Amino acid sequence: MFISSNLSLKGVSVILEIDKLSKRYGSIQAVDRLSLQIEEGSIYGLLGPNGSGKTTTLGMVLDVIRPSSGSFSWFGQPVSRSTKHRLGALLETPNFYPYLTAQRNLEITADIKGADKKQIAHVLHTVGLSHRTHTTFKGFSLGMKQRLALAAALLNNPEVLVLDEPTNGLDPEGIAEVRELILRIAAEGKTIILASHLLDEVEKVCTHVAVLQKGVLRAEGPVSTILSAKDQLIISAENTVRLLEVLKQLPFVESYQPERDLVHLTLQEGYGAAEVNKAMFEAGVVLQQLTLRRKSLEAQFLEIIKQQA
Amino acid sequence: MNLLRIELHKILPYRTVWVILAIYVALMLLILFASSNVSINGQELGSQMYNLPQFWQTLTYIASFFNLLFGILMIVLVSDEYSFRTLRQQVIDGLSRMDLVLAKFYVALGLGVLATIFVLVLGLYFGLVHGQNHASDAIFGKIDHLSYYFLQAVGYMSLAMLFGFIIRKSGLAIIAFIAYAQVVEPLIHFRLPDNLDKYMPIKVLKTLTPMPAQDVLDQMTTPTELLSLPWAAVLAAGYIALFWAMSFYTLKLRDL
Repeated sequence: MFISSNLSLKGVSVILEIDKLSKRYGSIQAVDRLSLQIEEGSIYGLLGPNGSGKTTTLGMVLDVIRPSSGSFSWFGQPVSRSTKHRLGALLETPNFYPYLTAQRNLEITADIKGADKKQIAHVLHTVGLSHRTHTTFKGFSLGMKQRLALAAALLNNPEVLVLDEPTNGLDPEGIAEVRELILRIAAEGKTIILASHLLDEVEKVCTHVAVLQKGVLRAEGPVSTILSAKDQLIISAENTVRLLEVLKQLPFVESYQPERDLVHLTLQEGYGAAEVNKAMFEAGVVLQQLTLRRKSLEAQFLEIIKQQA
Repeated sequence: MNLLRIELHKILPYRTVWVILAIYVALMLLILFASSNVSINGQELGSQMYNLPQFWQTLTYIASFFNLLFGILMIVLVSDEYSFRTLRQQVIDGLSRMDLVLAKFYVALGLGVLATIFVLVLGLYFGLVHGQNHASDAIFGKIDHLSYYFLQAVGYMSLAMLFGFIIRKSGLAIIAFIAYAQVVEPLIHFRLPDNLDKYMPIKVLKTLTPMPAQDVLDQMTTPTELLSLPWAAVLAAGYIALFWAMSFYTLKLRDL
């Protein structure tokens, strides 16, 4: 009966499989035939600007938004009470009863998830809300609400965490803490699915990323291959013509682009500013300027979107 | 039962619920005390009014005025779940849409039981202390009116629950619910012949607590055609099932 269809060829369990999932709101195609596979143990980032379909996608796999077409499965099974109990999820906003305290709100969550109420103190401690156990939810700051939602997601010690913009509304300290918390949880071997519009967040936290734009999957794969663009060097010399001649002959220069008296170059992997400087000096060109410029993540992101469009 | 426990966790600390229940209790007591002093043709109504078993009918008729209050409470409880987005969270955390509707239906049943017990206590107190007839066949003679009242209260709350699930916003849902129960359906009753409108939901529910002096009224005007109590009860149960099913399909077809 239980032939594990959630085993991929490599033997790694597939946690979530999405197959041509679509959602249409009137004339707006919010998600367009999205297919993804999320493997056990990964920190999977869903990256895209606001309105790119991240929340809609998560809403569909969390059973609160009806897909227009397509299908998905958790742990190789259709969504059900038992698959839900293996997840902890926060979608869009922290959702609690404003007139109840943190403790009482989490008691309700524990009842629904079938979790032990003794865990409540523990999860409140984990997110740093122990001192607010008996404060009503409506008195919480946005950051505290977000932490309480994280605490609720952690109840029942789930195998998978689904987090939609988990650092929304947090101050810089809170953001750092939440990211650290995510990495700590991931270190326990849990799978994390994280939606974010912050490239920097995805780069810092995730192992895999899917880039969404207007509901369409633009790129997907390990963060290192999708988001690591090579660094750029900017050089100049008194004799730009001679400089360009030398550049043409250097095997490790992937491309270059003169811009007035400056030249922008991209090098092959494993080469850096030192090699360029050395080669120029040997060719008798003295560089006046040699600057390393990291390509901004935003620029990379725009590139990904442009390439695929 | 777990669903009911979850609902109790939400309701017990909620002040709005207690305020509405307190209003119900206070108004019922007020009416009962005040009406004993009403005198008709120089004779105090009081002592006569409290005579069992006739008092059960009078009492449930008076209690039926406050079904709208229970309906409003039900709408508040349902629309809260939308505005706090807790319906959504509960589905994410493991409940099904059927569970959501069932949980609220249990609340309606629970409130119905509470209201019926309260009316029972009132009946016994006023009937035994102020009434003249204390024989057991007098006390239990027309006590079946209580079960009709229970069905009526649950019926109104089920209709209110449906309005809450469909409309989502509490203010709008309350207005629509009261407008339907008090204006729209009565207007339709005017247009339709009695033999048709007696099957309409509000009319059926109202039939369950007949007016004490209906027979006197019927002698003076053309008698209105109503269903018999047992038939009205069967139909009311049918409507409750229908409202419940419609609430479920509303949730099933919608994004949360």
